[in-house]
Amino acid sequence: MIIIGENIHVIAKAVSVAIRERDANVIRELAKAQTEARANYIDLNVGPMKKDPEENMQWLVGTVQEVTSLPLSIDTMNPVAMEAGLKACKKRPLLNSASGKTDSKERMLPLAKKYNCDVVISVMTDRGMPPDVDSKIESIMDTVTHANELGIANEDIWVDPIVLPVSTAGEGQRFTVANLEFIKILEDVLPGVKSTVGLSNVSNGVPNELRPLLNCVYLAMLARNGLYSAIADPLDKELMSLMRGEMPKEVELVHKTMDGEDVNLSDLSPKQVHYVKTAKVLMGQTLYSDAWLES
Amino acid sequence: MEYKAPVEAYTGVVREITIGKANKSLKIGGENILPFHFFDQGSNPNPAKFVLEILDMKPEDWPDYLIEPFGDAVSDPVAWAKKCQDFAVDAVSLFLMSTDPAVKDSPADRAAALAKQVAEAINVPLIVYGSGDEVKDVAVLSKVAEVCDGMNLLIGPVLKENYEAVGKAILDHGHTAIAQSPLDINLLKELNVKLSKFFPSERIVIDPLSSALGYGMEYSFSLIERVKQIGIMTKDSMTMMPIIANLGGECWKTKQAKENKKQGLLWEGVTAMSLLLAGANIVVLRHPETLKLIKETIQAR
Repeated sequence: MIIIGENIHVIAKAVSVAIRERDANVIRELAKAQTEARANYIDLNVGPMKKDPEENMQWLVGTVQEVTSLPLSIDTMNPVAMEAGLKACKKRPLLNSASGKTDSKERMLPLAKKYNCDVVISVMTDRGMPPDVDSKIESIMDTVTHANELGIANEDIWVDPIVLPVSTAGEGQRFTVANLEFIKILEDVLPGVKSTVGLSNVSNGVPNELRPLLNCVYLAMLARNGLYSAIADPLDKELMSLMRGEMPKEVELVHKTMDGEDVNLSDLSPKQVHYVKTAKVLMGQTLYSDAWLES
Repeated sequence: MEYKAPVEAYTGVVREITIGKANKSLKIGGENILPFHFFDQGSNPNPAKFVLEILDMKPEDWPDYLIEPFGDAVSDPVAWAKKCQDFAVDAVSLFLMSTDPAVKDSPADRAAALAKQVAEAINVPLIVYGSGDEVKDVAVLSKVAEVCDGMNLLIGPVLKENYEAVGKAILDHGHTAIAQSPLDINLLKELNVKLSKFFPSERIVIDPLSSALGYGMEYSFSLIERVKQIGIMTKDSMTMMPIIANLGGECWKTKQAKENKKQGLLWEGVTAMSLLLAGANIVVLRHPETLKLIKETIQAR
């Protein structure tokens, strides 16, 4: 599993202040920590970057590259900032992200061709977020076809089905199940494409102490269905250890739960019980509530 | 080829709950089919129950045609409760509106004494609803539970903010609880999980909050439907409880219901019928004619 380290993002106040005040140390530390934790990419999520997009982006990319040799994922919806970022990268970067929206097709996708980089393409279109697996597939096929016409090969495309919070009343569990299905059939409908997800979004709105568990279990499930990469927190030790194959028993239990097997909880450790209960919630087998581990 | 209608059989069973005691008792829930799916395998041993709501104070903003069926009795809750029995109710619901700090802030002792008087005066079980003020209700509902010890009233709302205190009083004095959450299935389940840690699931009734036609009824509908489906079809223990739709008050505060009688009856009636179709086991109404109309509609199927 390719892990794209998510920790440099402007939603974190420390990061937005550091960019504004050119405080290189904060950025370097985050980049170093993620590199040491064995991330494969460093994501630079700068949001829309309305002010001085070129200068800001050049500074940020330069600062990060001082301390890491990892490739970067340039994460912004501003095409000007995007181009500045891609230009400054020493290693082949990841453009994060384009979509099926007209804007994005016209201004983002051509950049992927121009700078010969990998590109994340989400299932989003001008009509918004496709509500189910079939419409997600339909949307992404359209957009990938368009990208191919621009000269971007399937092998350079990382498809993002868009992960939404499991805790959204009534809907959330439908989303988690739909994305598992999407990842499973993606290889058949678009041979050669890669895939990625914004993993942590699955646990948005969930009590903080329970978020890592949801992230870990969902990643294990997506991995089984063939997910290629995830934008995630490499500083989450359990997540990294899980992806290195150091937790085979937990993974096996998750797989059994995905197959609908009735797992006998009484023989398991508390952590293993949590994995099974969480997998059941993410499969839509039991109704989500913040107290899902307690029932 | 001859058509054969598919017949579904489900594994979940809604818990059968008894409220009240001895000859004043009532069973609710117990079904293992979806609402009105009489064509499937299974049954609903306790079809929908009908309740009229009374207040612990004289109504201030009710239209004349809502007061008319009860006459002067509306100024005396005991007389009012007795009068409800003329309309073939399965239970009476006493809303302790005056205890609300924003209404009269009347004391818990008085409310509890009144609840007992009403419960003793009628031949059907009593439901008691506090004002919904999460702080005041701790005092009011705990006192009601204590004074009416052993009568197995159906008492609520038990909220996520006060379930420990209110739940304990209801449990200690042998009553049944109404667990209420704000139109959200995940919060609803969470409250049931937490309450069930010390309170028997066999004595919990779910109130998912009922909204009136035109004022969000579809949210209540979808939620009740989903709770019922998850209980019956996927056997989720924490949703296999009967559901109460406390909708009369919501309907009669709408502008439309206050405009004229026919419209009011239909507003309450359509809301009640919809929530019954979604899966409510008990409906709490205000107008006796609505009660009659909906009962007849269901019996005519």
